[in-house]
Parts: sequence; C-alpha cells; structure tokens
Amino acid sequence: MATRSMLRSVWTSFAGLKLGPTGTNVKLQQRINTPQLSALTIQSRGIRQVVEKQEGKTTTVKGQILDIPAAPQPPNPAAKCPIYKWNLQNKYNYTDVLLLSQFIRSDGGMLPRRITGLCPEEHRKIVICVQMAHRAGLLPDHKPKLPEGHVSKKPKPQLNRYLTRWSIDSVKPIYKTGLKWCKKRMAVGHPALKNNVRYGVKPLYLKH
Amino acid sequence: MSSFSRSAQQWATFARSWFLIDAKMQPPGKIATMCSVRLQGKHKPIYHALSDCGDHVVVINTRHIAFSGNKWEQKVYSSHTGYPGGFKQVTAAQLHLKDPKAIVKLAVYGMLPKNLHRRTMMQRLHIFPDDELPDDIRANLTEELPQPREIPRKLSEYTQEEIDAFPRLWTPPEDYKMK
Repeated sequence: MATRSMLRSVWTSFAGLKLGPTGTNVKLQQRINTPQLSALTIQSRGIRQVVEKQEGKTTTVKGQILDIPAAPQPPNPAAKCPIYKWNLQNKYNYTDVLLLSQFIRSDGGMLPRRITGLCPEEHRKIVICVQMAHRAGLLPDHKPKLPEGHVSKKPKPQLNRYLTRWSIDSVKPIYKTGLKWCKKRMAVGHPALKNNVRYGVKPLYLKH
Repeated sequence: MSSFSRSAQQWATFARSWFLIDAKMQPPGKIATMCSVRLQGKHKPIYHALSDCGDHVVVINTRHIAFSGNKWEQKVYSSHTGYPGGFKQVTAAQLHLKDPKAIVKLAVYGMLPKNLHRRTMMQRLHIFPDDELPDDIRANLTEELPQPREIPRKLSEYTQEEIDAFPRLWTPPEDYKMK
C-alpha cells in the first residue's frame, strides 16, 4: 500500500509522461522496480491466490490469503547470502542433495544468482556440487525433458561414478602417465571445496 | 577363545576362512586393498610370509563398481601381446564393458607381493560380476566385510517428511515463476 502510493508519487512527478491506460503503466513500473525494492523490508499483507468462481451469470474473483506457516528463523539473519544466513559455509558437499535441490530447476539447471541471492563464491560452489551430484546420479528426477517419442541412437553405458570434476565427454584418456616425478594425475573432487570442514585426520586428496 | 579346548583353539587360529565383499558403488582400489590384506593373511597376528596363512575372498557385484573422478575415461590399462605392433591400450570404461571382472582382478594383482605366492593368492580370490554365487562357495562363506565407502542417498530415496523438515534457505520473489 505504502509502496504503491510511493510509486504513484514517483510517476506523477515525471512531467511530460502521458498516463494513458494507467493500469498497464503501473504494472510495468512495478515489474522494473520490484527487484530493487525487495532488498528493503517491504511490509506486505501476504501472498494472495486468485480464485475464480462462476455462478450462473455472475463470476466472483477472490483474492484468498494463503496461510504460510512461519519459517524457522535463520541463525545469522544479518548476512545477505542464504548460505551465510544459515551458517552452512564450508559445510556442504555434493551428497547434500536436500540443500542443492533448493537451487535447481526441475530440468536440473541452476537458478540465476540474482533470484536466489547467493554470493558469487557460494554460487560457484553450489554449481560445482550440483554438477557432481548430477554426474553421480543423485538427482534422477531432474533430467531435461526429451521430446515425445525420442529414441536415443546408442544406449550409453551406465557406469557409476562420484566426485567427477570434468564433464564425461570432455575428458581424454591418459595414454602416457609419465614417471613418478612428472606423473599426469587424475583429478578427483574440486579445489573450490578445499576449505570444507574435515572431521577426520586425512587431508583432502584431489590428485589421484 | 581361551575357553575352547586345545584342538578347537588350534583349528580356530589356523583355519582358512572365506570373506565376502560387496563391491556395489565402491571404488575398486579400496576393495582391492581389503582383498590383498586378507589374501596374504596380514589381518592375522600369526602372519608369516612363508606360512601360507591367507584366506579366501569372494567379491560380488563387480559390474556395479564406482570410480571417483573421471577415471572411467582417463585411466588406461596397457598390455602387450609380445608380437610387433601388439601394444594395446584400453580405457577403464572399455575394459569394464568387455569384462566386468577385469578391473578388480588387475587391481588386486597389482597390490599383492610380487613373488611366486601371488598366483596362489589370486587363485583364492573369487570375483563375480553380479549377485549370483555358486552354492558351494555360498556354503563356505564365514564373514561379510563392511563396505569401505558410504553410499550417498539419491533425492528420490528421501521421504517426503525429511524433505519437508529441511528448511527453505531462500524465498523466491513473487513475480518469478518457472521452477
């Protein structure tokens, strides 16, 4: 309410702009401005669900307020990034599928950073963990939708893998591994996750 | 146990036992170290290299082995037939499709001591690509060893209550759709 009146005052202050069909103009203005405004604390009256009912000749359109249960308060609400808000930095891995599934679309792709609100380093780490989880087969329901009647030409071999850093088709076999002092090592895991909490004595082993 | 009779204690220390290892979703290297330790008899306090104290090890589900990293594409198994132009190099993926037992067999062979006992120890190693075992080997099994790697759960294996109990980390803005 307060924001809408604020917007109107901003609109009318622009001289020379024709307010023709005001409804559509106000909607456009809202769409441009809402991402910036969401950074501030907006006092909203709740998300409403539009319900249409037809009774003979009269149609009633109701805006029903959904009862959203109070979400648990994050331990560090002062931080901007959701991972820092919940103090999960350096504590998640590719196996934490419940966490990773909150940042992906239904076809397995990542949601943009401007929507999720992640800071750039954590966004990159989540991208890496999601890629490793996809390659390990931990997200079986988030595959891209193939068109109907699509038959794959060659059945791909189902090989189990985990902690795969590179994409499967991009890697070439190491025909000459070299001597011990100059060996071509095989990469396991990702160095972006090297600051993760380790509860054992053994160090992180990335070059196998 | 010290409460056994002398003959029973003697039998319990020097008998050859049969171990079972399930290699499903496990790295073949870790499976191979467990196998080589028990084939040599190094898990026994009475170990001596000459005293032939190794046990039998049965490995099942080797078809469902899991390599870490990109080793399926990068790891290369080389061999030479002895004839000119007979140098063959095969990736782990190609070798596994041709013979699902070969990767575990080569891994254990490379981890055993390089002496004449190695062949007899390899004869005591029994590898099966799937769950099926012959009845005589199944009758001999004494102990199953725990798997070295903890298998992570897929998202489809979590119950809806567990998914709901996990808190939402971020709320999407109202005008954003397409999830």
